[in-house]
Amino acid sequence: MTPNIFYLLASILFSIGLVGLVSRKNLFVLYMSIELMLSSISLVLATLSKVLAQADGSVMALLMIGVIAAEAAVFLAMIINLYRSHRTLNADSFNKLREGVYND
Amino acid sequence: MLEISIFSILAIFMLGGSFAMISNKQTVFSAFGFLVTMIGMAGIFAMLNNQFLAMAQIMVSVGAVVVLSMLTILTVNAKEENLPKEPHKYKWIIFSTIAVAPFTVLLYKTLTTMDRHFSEMATIDSKVLGSVLFSKWVLPFEILSILLLAAMLGAIVIARKKS
Repeated sequence: MTPNIFYLLASILFSIGLVGLVSRKNLFVLYMSIELMLSSISLVLATLSKVLAQADGSVMALLMIGVIAAEAAVFLAMIINLYRSHRTLNADSFNKLREGVYND
Repeated sequence: MLEISIFSILAIFMLGGSFAMISNKQTVFSAFGFLVTMIGMAGIFAMLNNQFLAMAQIMVSVGAVVVLSMLTILTVNAKEENLPKEPHKYKWIIFSTIAVAPFTVLLYKTLTTMDRHFSEMATIDSKVLGSVLFSKWVLPFEILSILLLAAMLGAIVIARKKS
């Protein structure tokens, strides 16, 4: 076992999260894509912790799990608020702050 | 050999789960794919001899985050007409995959310039992790606790009904 396959898995997962972030419009899918990207970074940190034989990477990954939990709370509350006001989950329909006139 | 096969099974589960997450139309099935991915991530952490992180992943990411998002999805209970219409979804996925693929290669090459071998070390158990967390990393830990408090208050304020 070399660390390379862990790095490969982490980069593929990060890229899948990025693809989901740019190609979907559903707010929940966007939220889960962001979570996936964060989790892949914590996988890199845990791998580095084993490569360098120090626990610092694991501690960073642990703190990152906490950040993921905080982000989940705020993002889900935001989704509930947006759904209550607009009755849709389409990310393209939340364009109040957008400049110019678009009617799509 | 055994390690490689366990890793392959976990990796296939994670990749399949994440692909199901970004490709399903129904949000609940996306959440199930996300669940599979997170459980696979916990298994990968366990393969890295990092038991505490694996347990934290199971408890927080699977037990709290995924369950919370599933509860939210089922509470919102969006009807078919409230979901966004995405007729060109697979086209978008394919073309953005082509666009992102060079970035993936770049990321992988950057990561593999670091050390190529695992060092021989004992498992990172909760004793080692706790001693580092509460000596060297105590300030980030406290900042994270304030962040969690702020996120909790913010979630309550944002999700509250306007009266």
